[in-house]
Parts: sequence; structure tokens; C-alpha cells
Amino acid sequence: MVQIIISSAGAGGLAEWVLMELQGEIEARYSTGLAGNLLGDLHYTTEGIPVLIVGHHILYGKIIHLEKPFAVLVKHTSGEQDCDELGCKTGTQYLVTALIKNKILFKTRPKPIITNVPKKV
Amino acid sequence: MRRTREEVDATLQIAKLNAAELLPAVHCLGFGPGAGAAAGDFCLLELEPSLCQQLEAGHSLVIRGDKDEQAVLCSKDKTYDLKIADTSNMLLFIPGCKTPDQLKTEETHCNIIHTEYTTEDLLDQIQASEEEIMAQLQVLNACEIEGYWRILDFDYEMKLLNHITQLVDSESWSFGKVPLNTCLQELGPLEPEEMIEHCLKCYGKRYVEEGEVYFELSADKICRATAQMLLQNAVKFNLAEFEEVWQQSVPEGMITTLDQLKGLALVDRQSRPEIIFLLKVDDLPEDNQERFNSLFSLREKWTEEDIAPYIQDLCGEKQTIGTLLTKYSRSSIQNGVKVYNSRRPIS
Repeated sequence: MVQIIISSAGAGGLAEWVLMELQGEIEARYSTGLAGNLLGDLHYTTEGIPVLIVGHHILYGKIIHLEKPFAVLVKHTSGEQDCDELGCKTGTQYLVTALIKNKILFKTRPKPIITNVPKKV
Repeated sequence: MRRTREEVDATLQIAKLNAAELLPAVHCLGFGPGAGAAAGDFCLLELEPSLCQQLEAGHSLVIRGDKDEQAVLCSKDKTYDLKIADTSNMLLFIPGCKTPDQLKTEETHCNIIHTEYTTEDLLDQIQASEEEIMAQLQVLNACEIEGYWRILDFDYEMKLLNHITQLVDSESWSFGKVPLNTCLQELGPLEPEEMIEHCLKCYGKRYVEEGEVYFELSADKICRATAQMLLQNAVKFNLAEFEEVWQQSVPEGMITTLDQLKGLALVDRQSRPEIIFLLKVDDLPEDNQERFNSLFSLREKWTEEDIAPYIQDLCGEKQTIGTLLTKYSRSSIQNGVKVYNSRRPIS
């Protein structure tokens, strides 16, 4: 019997994050990867519609309040096994870091922003 | 390198978004230092509301199971089946992100929020971001908003059309059966309903089926309008480049062909490389002689196929394309093709 503990610091220690869901993939322009790079600007219209500008694209989305919230779990492995009468606890533990109660969903195709149309021939 | 408010506003302007229609706060999203590499260390657990409450109260949960068994999730007094789910969509965490409701209820003058996802001490990171927000206090200059109010009619029409085509795409409707009521419902928060319906009428044909109003959108009209939007930004366009961008810019499933651009754009197949530029028949002189003068000053020799869309509107009961050409031009054969040029030299 394997046991993996999911522990929580409680409301005081739990942040609230927002989940953003996009169709497709985001690729880094340069081979250095995504880390440390800007993704884009997220705006909301006065009606509460999220608008995301990523590179040369605009996406319009929806804010969805999740009926079933998500817990963000971070894995901690200690490699030690701890056995008692209930079974063996593996060295793996999950810590609940944040809760997600809202998500922003972008499911339409991004619209290209035509700015620098080549004037040269 | 933090984005500044000026950079954000510049991007809004390029994107042709009206800042007055947006809440003042913007989230500048960035990838944290651990992005990608550490993604595997995170897990999302979907919770019944009661389980969420337990976690918020500080209680722990346990996953249990024998190696050969289905795993279960146990709370203090209940056991739940545990299932793994997958999605092909990209999921991003945004710590410190505010929802529009939260922004509206907060009495904050802050209008730029930097968020970063990082695997390092997350709670501390969020607190640090809040300090940075305080340091970036800026108030939107009302005059700047005024600057964004210039929206051209055609640009607005394209904006409406984009909303509609995006909705068709996300709802997976056929372009031949676009329901009016759902459009008004979904797009009503973004634009006035009369404008949405006006746009549907301009680009589609209205019909009623089983008591519901639908629109059959015209691919030709949409492709044509998209081309106009692209061409009006440049003096001329490399033809091959234009055709590629144009096809990518129209809704999926629609096919672009140069035939759709008659009377709107002209292709020059003599130049190297071949080019295309905007030439709208509406912009040309109404008087017959002046019309021909302007066409011949643009291009010395025309084939009938090329010139026809630009003189079609001059035809009446007594005049056909043929008679107009006879009266106002002189023909010759060039490379086996009949071409027309001016009767007298154009200065």
C-alpha cells in the first residue's frame, strides 16, 4: 500500500492563481527558450472580456469561474521511505501551493495584427 | 526588462484597440526562470468544492493505493476515485493575476501588473510583485485616451467582422448557417447589437429556418474585405507575399482567389517581382473621359480582362464595355494579346 500525502498550509498560506488556457503552443522566438521572456499583455475590456496580445496576434477570450477549483500541487521527493501500520509512505509528497478558482480560456484562432506590411517590393 | 506603461500603450495603438474600452490595469505576462524545465513538477488537482474547503482549512489529503490498484484520494472522512486527465491545450499559471471583478472592486490606481510564473519560493515572489506594483504607480492621462478615438468606418467594420468570424470558428458553425441570436448574445457585450446585425447583413444573406434567423456568410465578400484591409496599409505589395498573408488572414475554410479582387486591386504581371496594389473603382473619376485618362496614366496598356472591372459601372443601356473601349481607346496586339491604350497622349 502506497501513500502519498498532499499537505496544505491552509487559507493563510494558499495563494490564489488564475489559469490561462490556450489552444496550440507558444514557442520561443530564439533558441534560448521561454524562461525569463515576456509572453504578452493581458487586458480586460470594461465588460470583463480578456484580451491577450501575444507577439503579432490578438486573442479574445472568456473568464470562467470554475465550479470545481484546482489545487496546484508541487512535488517534493525526499527519497526516504517511512513505514507504519497504515502502510509505507514514499518519499514523495505534494504541497498545495495555490488554488485556482478562475480560468481564462482563449479558444478562438489568434488574429494577426498587420502592422509592418512590407512597402518595399 | 520590465515593460513600461508607454510600451503597453504603444502596443494597444498598433493593435488598434481602444484604451477607453479597456480597464486601466494591464497584466504584463512573463515566463519565470524555471519555465518549461520545471513544468513536470507541477500537478493540477481538480477538486469537489468540499475538498477545496478542506484544503483551505489546512487539512491534508492522502493518495492511497496498492501498486496494482486504482489509486484513491482520501480526506478525513471520504474517499474519492482518482482519475488522470489530459488536454492538448496549453495551460499557464498566472500567480498574482486579478480577474476583472477583482480589479473593479479594488480601489487601486495601479494600471500595470507584472506577473511571472516561477518555481522558486512562490509566495515570496508574489509579495515581491506587489511591492513592484506600488513602485509603478501611474495614472492614465485622459488626453491620451482621446487619441485612440479615431476609428475609421472600414476598420470598425473589419473589427465587427473579425468578432463574427472568430465566433463562427470557436462555435464550429458552418459559414452557411450562422445563427443571429447566438451572435447577438455572445458578441453583445463587445459591440452594439445593431452593428453586429448590420455586419451580418453586409457580409451574408439572411434566411429563416424553423423560425430561427440565420445568415449565410459570403466567402467572396469576406476574402475581399480582408484583402482591402491588407492592401490599404501599403503602397504596393509583393504578389506572392500578399497571396500568402491573405490566405492566412481569412477564416479557416475560405479560399482566396484573385478573381475576388476585381475592381479593388490591380496586379502588375510585367514588373519583377510581380506586385499587387489597391485600386478601388469607387476612387476613380465618374466622368467617362476622365475615368479613361486616369486609368491610362496608371498603366499605358490594358487587357480587356484587367480594365473591364474599372469601367463596368460606366456601362449603361446603350454602352457596353466594348463600345466604351472603342470610343475612348485604341487597340493593338501585343505578344498575341489584344491591348488597349489611350487615343491621345496622356501628359
